[in-house]
Amino acid sequence: MTTADCDAIVIGSGPGGAVAADVLTAAGWSVIVLEKGRNHLVSLDPPYEPLRHLSNDEIAMVRRHLLGPDPRLEPRTYRRHADDGDRLLTGEVNNLPSTVGGGGYHADAKLPRFREEDFALRTTRGPIDGADVRDWPLTYADLEPHYAEVERIIGVAGETGTNPFAAWRSSGFPMPPGPDMPMALVTTAAAARHGLHPYRAPTGANSVEYDGRPACVDCGFCGRYGCPVAAKGDPIASLQRMLRTGRGQVRPEALVTEIVLDAAGRRATGVRYLDLAHHPDPPVIELRAGRAVIVAGGAFETARLLLRNGLGGDLVGRHLTYHFQTFTVGIFPDDTGGDRGRDVTHLHDDLMIDTPELLGAAREAGLPWLRGGVTEHGSAAGPVDEALMYPGGPRHAAAMADSSLRRRMWVLTVQGEDLAQPANRVDLDPSVRDAWGLPAGRVTYRPHRHELAASAYAAAVHEAVLVDAGAQAAFSATSPPQHDIDLHASINPIGIAPASRHVMGTARMGTDPATSVVSPEQRLWDVDNVLICDSSVFVTSAGYNPTLTLAALSHRAATLLTG
Amino acid sequence: MTGARAAEPSEQGAVFDGPARAVIAAALDAQVPGSVALGAVDYVERLLTALDHDPPRLWAAPEGSGQAWLEVGVWERAAWAQRIAEMHAAYDRVAAGEPTEADVRLVHEHACEATFGDPAYGGNRDGAGWRQIGFPDPLFPPAR
Ligand SMILES: Cc1cc2nc3c(=O)[nH]c(=O)nc-3n(C[C@H](O)[C@H](O)[C@H](O)COP(=O)(O)OP(=O)(O)OC[C@H]3O[C@@H](n4cnc5c(N)ncnc54)[C@H](O)[C@@H]3O)c2cc1C
Ligand code: SF4
Repeated sequence: MTTADCDAIVIGSGPGGAVAADVLTAAGWSVIVLEKGRNHLVSLDPPYEPLRHLSNDEIAMVRRHLLGPDPRLEPRTYRRHADDGDRLLTGEVNNLPSTVGGGGYHADAKLPRFREEDFALRTTRGPIDGADVRDWPLTYADLEPHYAEVERIIGVAGETGTNPFAAWRSSGFPMPPGPDMPMALVTTAAAARHGLHPYRAPTGANSVEYDGRPACVDCGFCGRYGCPVAAKGDPIASLQRMLRTGRGQVRPEALVTEIVLDAAGRRATGVRYLDLAHHPDPPVIELRAGRAVIVAGGAFETARLLLRNGLGGDLVGRHLTYHFQTFTVGIFPDDTGGDRGRDVTHLHDDLMIDTPELLGAAREAGLPWLRGGVTEHGSAAGPVDEALMYPGGPRHAAAMADSSLRRRMWVLTVQGEDLAQPANRVDLDPSVRDAWGLPAGRVTYRPHRHELAASAYAAAVHEAVLVDAGAQAAFSATSPPQHDIDLHASINPIGIAPASRHVMGTARMGTDPATSVVSPEQRLWDVDNVLICDSSVFVTSAGYNPTLTLAALSHRAATLLTG
Repeated sequence: MTGARAAEPSEQGAVFDGPARAVIAAALDAQVPGSVALGAVDYVERLLTALDHDPPRLWAAPEGSGQAWLEVGVWERAAWAQRIAEMHAAYDRVAAGEPTEADVRLVHEHACEATFGDPAYGGNRDGAGWRQIGFPDPLFPPAR
């Protein structure tokens, strides 16, 4: 009998892994979190203060991969379908940071809950040809206590009573909303004139001092930047709580390559990882877990790890969903003030609600129903980003001075519900390898016509809103782009692959092993002490930012695990 | 060693010899007029010599943090060594008047970064690039 190094190993330190580790250590378990990226977030020595590596620096954060992954070390590949050959591009595909804290570290943290019907789409709306529409094996009521708990742990600022479509809640938000971005007041007023119902976004950035962390100061470098003052709670709050129990540790630069099983292949006994502090020959370290292995690598890397290990069955990687993003861009005569603020302070849910107009658009598209997604009122482009969008040459300075794509821009972004399709998937690229010789993950993805119809509907509504708000011009674009791919290969600022960082569905949960990868408790059907604690388990993508829901699911799964 | 590179980086971090420097400066200015006056050549040279320093001068540390540059991991360092070697080769082609399409894109990227990125990296002298476009000084700048 060998002794275990800990009760549970958690693979990945993003919002999913951090919440699981927090719950397990609070219940008395010993936990080791393995994170392949480096640590820029929190000191791993008492008193576990924020590291403060980050500043408002577009070069380091956006251009030079400070939070990883470096696409040279960890390339991913993309194609739309098998007819494209092995791949259309190699490099960055939906890269979320690879660092202690994962994507939570640099998300701008709009953290809405899903609504009751999002968990029962098949029952409430019915099937759609070519898509695999299913109900979740749990309800909103099952998840509600965990939503409330993770809102409290992360620290979500928001208000009740202003979103008429919101699901019921057992308690209010832990903090009031932060200050509004002034331009959001202009576009939300226009949206209201068009019959829409905007509200202040629930946001994981402190509006007041909370849990020992300061209030956000609206520095304007939020999405894609770590917070210089640790005003974002996700996931530093969970990691600090876990570390303070004395039962948890985080090991950065630890790339898990293998989940080790017992002789019968029915239980995980631990993992093997590469210690990436060493170059060029990282040693392989084996760690034993007495009770469970939690996989929380994010929906892309989790699928890749399971596929490499032959775990989880034939459905692993399939039913990959994103949010089909529709960006309606308004160019205004004056400065929209987007250089300061939290990027997005307001949302509206109306495109998620059955209205006669939306049903009419569905009928026209030959579909039984349509769902758009939550719409974000915001602005976010740094000056380097903007400069890169204009062609080089004598007119560059004039374009920057005119600044139609930053200073005078305001954007309504729809995080459109993406229907699950079995052919949309993450699998292993047949020949591209990462720096350690492991097969790169490959995305095969194209939208269903549902997404295209919903996007066209949203674009028309939002262009009218922005013109009413005073825009001189309004136009819409989608990610992924819908036109001839050659037109976009080198000039499209958001690229030809889906730019969404909301990645879901690659190890769906369900009650039937024939149609799902994990059980309702998020355990792999084939190895039941391996739990998946990230958005891989989503059954539908819903039209809402995924992180609060994946954190609530992780909280629930870890709570059930500890009994 | 090719024409675009002097034998050793000088104290100032100069990489390009005189004629190459002039051609590269012209290429940067052709992409973003005025970028060279704001330090674009210096920006490129500092990037190409970033790994000659310890810690590498790739990622500026926050102002007031007591350090100037953040540590770079061993694997990240290897990736940047490869990337920088390819940039050297690209600038050799630019200096020789034979840039590829990808080289021109790289020059465009660097001209944009140098003009509108943080002054910590050698471009955007005194924040003049930001002033031209009305971009406010960041609240939490990196160490310059
Ligand atoms: C700019 C931006 C803005 C965003 N804004 C929002 C928002 O407003 N609201 C919202 O809900 N979501 C937002 N997101 C998405 C959000 O970041 C993700 O939903 C969230 O981070 C996913 O959490 P996760 O724990 O599942 O995975 P991740 O955050 O991806 O964390 C997984 C971690 O696991 C590590 N890992 C993976 N494989 C291994 C392995 N084999 N060994 C060791 N470690 C491994 C990775 O390095 C990573 O650090 C945003 C993302 C970005 C990029
Ligand atoms: S806007 Fe606020 S929460 Fe976001 S990075 Fe700046 S200070 Fe932090």
